[in-house]
Amino acid sequence: MPRPPDPDNLNVRGRWPPPPGPRVAVVGSRRPSPYGEAVAERLATDLAAAGAIVVSGLALGVDAAAHEGALAAGGCTIAVLGTGVDIVYPRTNAELAARILENGGALVSQFADGTPPQRANFPRRNWTIAALSDVVVVVEAAEGSGALITAEAALALDRDVMAVPGSVFSPLSVGCHQLLRDGAGLVQNGRDVLAVLGAQQEVLDDPLRPPPSLGLESPKTGRDALLGHLSDTLPIEPGTLARKLGIPLPEIMSRLTALEMAGAVRPRGAGFVRLTAVGISRTGSG
Amino acid sequence: MAASVRSVVLRGLDVVPVDVEVDIGPGTRKFFLIGLAAGSVREARERVTAAIRSCGLPFPLHVITCNLAPAEVRKDGAGLDLAIAVAICLAEARRPAAPGCAFFGEISLDGAIRHTNGVLVATRGLAGLGVDRVFVPAADAAEAALVPGIEVVPCRHLGEVADHLLEGLPLPAITPQPPAYEEPVAVDDLAEVHGQDTARRALEVAAAGGHHLLMSGPPGSGKTMLARCLPGILPPLTREEAIDLAQVGSVLGELEPGRPLSAQRPFRSPHHTISTAGLVGGGSSLARPGEVSRAHHGVLFLDELAEFDPGSLQALRQPLEEGRVRITRSGGSVSYPARFMLVGATNPCPCGWEGDPVKACRCTPAAVYAYQRALSGPLLDRIDLQVRVSRAPLEALSEEPTGESSAAVRARVSAARSRQLERQGHLNANLTRAELRRLTGIRPDARRALERWSSAKGLTARGFQRAWRVARTVADLQASDEIVEEHVFEALGYRVADAAAA
Repeated sequence: MPRPPDPDNLNVRGRWPPPPGPRVAVVGSRRPSPYGEAVAERLATDLAAAGAIVVSGLALGVDAAAHEGALAAGGCTIAVLGTGVDIVYPRTNAELAARILENGGALVSQFADGTPPQRANFPRRNWTIAALSDVVVVVEAAEGSGALITAEAALALDRDVMAVPGSVFSPLSVGCHQLLRDGAGLVQNGRDVLAVLGAQQEVLDDPLRPPPSLGLESPKTGRDALLGHLSDTLPIEPGTLARKLGIPLPEIMSRLTALEMAGAVRPRGAGFVRLTAVGISRTGSG
Repeated sequence: MAASVRSVVLRGLDVVPVDVEVDIGPGTRKFFLIGLAAGSVREARERVTAAIRSCGLPFPLHVITCNLAPAEVRKDGAGLDLAIAVAICLAEARRPAAPGCAFFGEISLDGAIRHTNGVLVATRGLAGLGVDRVFVPAADAAEAALVPGIEVVPCRHLGEVADHLLEGLPLPAITPQPPAYEEPVAVDDLAEVHGQDTARRALEVAAAGGHHLLMSGPPGSGKTMLARCLPGILPPLTREEAIDLAQVGSVLGELEPGRPLSAQRPFRSPHHTISTAGLVGGGSSLARPGEVSRAHHGVLFLDELAEFDPGSLQALRQPLEEGRVRITRSGGSVSYPARFMLVGATNPCPCGWEGDPVKACRCTPAAVYAYQRALSGPLLDRIDLQVRVSRAPLEALSEEPTGESSAAVRARVSAARSRQLERQGHLNANLTRAELRRLTGIRPDARRALERWSSAKGLTARGFQRAWRVARTVADLQASDEIVEEHVFEALGYRVADAAAA
């Protein structure tokens, strides 16, 4: 069992130690569904707005969405890297890392400067995420996901573990559901997390505040009725839509691409998923 | 006394005329074979000597000098045997030449004339040289008879050829008959495919425009089955195309005896361990056609595209661009036709399950990206259509498939192809940038949609043109002169999303 490093011995860029406040790790799949991405972003925004510091790993997917969400609320967020703090991996997140620093956040690493990305270092980094946090929230994790290592570390370090449920059809939520079955706290919204942290919050079974609209309404396409037949977790194939709706496949293909161009859907595997509006600004290129 | 007899050696699908000259001079028994005779031609000396003796023909007891002119051309292959034997017999009989005749074929030791590769090509070449009668092995006479304007004399034995030339005994020419040209029977029919609506449509678009296609999907999703259906939705080979293809088969000796012409589009699926020479053609001295030429006018299916040797895939660039391969070897440079539809199949990631709705993928985003990148570059640049294929649910496999038959799809494909040939003389896959602007009739709003997409997704200029060409084919399938927005959007749907870009 790797031991987390002494928090005083981390290499740091940015403000350290961070301002006082509860620290919440928000972690999950590097290739989440639009649902997972939207949940991570919205949850981080709500937590940051309530004064929590969001900790994550600056990876693609849920990690990046969590950092973005915290920044959207003007919050301070900590990125725990698996490389040296002078290297941002993956490089596509360099711009995000810069904004984290601008907003009074920090990039930290237990590895020496110049350490390149190495497979074995990322599980050790996950232990550090758990060690730096008061509670670990897993948003979307398939079976065997790295986020489950973070959850395991949190248990070993006596931190609370919480998980966001997903569709029972989705392989991306299997890991989260395992955690919930094993006693992890259920996360439906930011208050669930704040309550566990002992902040004076009443727990209500409110759904997470839904994003402003499901699917963008572009003036060009209007609101295509196809959106109502798509899911934000499960890819639906064009052929399935064609059969179900009795519309010729070429027309379905055409309408789906128009929706993709409008930023309302994106391809996943052989099918398409509906985007939840909150993630659209960053994922449009997906 | 000297005799001269005409024959040819093959250079790819071209021929080089060769005059076989024999002089019998004074001296004790010797047999010189000169004129840059390589390997199998040098051995002709022994074969011809034995064959003439076996036939009971008089064999010269003096010095035989056999010259293969022109002397600077390297000669390979056993097709010169018959001409050498005939030249010796004529010289011994003091008969100067056989006017207007040419000879092509290999002889066995007992004088029988054997099947020889390349008879169709040799006959075509000889007809072009103005030869009136060609003597070929009886086994290959059917393919020679495909060539118009030349009399084909099938030969079984050297003895009957000598009797005919020296004694005037009859040796009947073959009466050219319209070659058997049957409607091809598609082995794999789209009606047997379960689901896979997107891939079926992509196959139809690919077939209609002659576009290359890449299918990506998990193991067992039926990529191979789909690819095998492609020849069945293409229109049958025209007679000219069938003869083009038969020439490749002739050089390789792979034509079915007696049935040289087939309207069946070829389907070739070499394994990924194939060598570069096997794929594009090659060999030690004179290059033989490879899989790309066997797939001429048909389909070249490369399963597990990412597993092929990168060098071999690089070598596909020339045939993809030019429709032929040129191979240079010590024996000279040859060129073979290779205009095929490339269908590639690949897993989406190393474990194969990326994007599967049920089974989780175990690859890191970086590994998926690297896997897809390995395919990128020049080859992927020439593939207009990309489509994701998913596994059909097991319960669907026990049901009766409900899709259209290949014949129904072929009717639409043929109509769309006719429109293209009428408009621009070739298929949409070969539209140049200038032709796209001039001929394709894209509506302004459709063009704007294409431009918006390109800037949003960072399409390269090539990617832009690919989508434009496919949109043209989609429009042709609907018999539309104009490309409208819907056509562009459908065309843009046939590309694989880059999983790592999210």
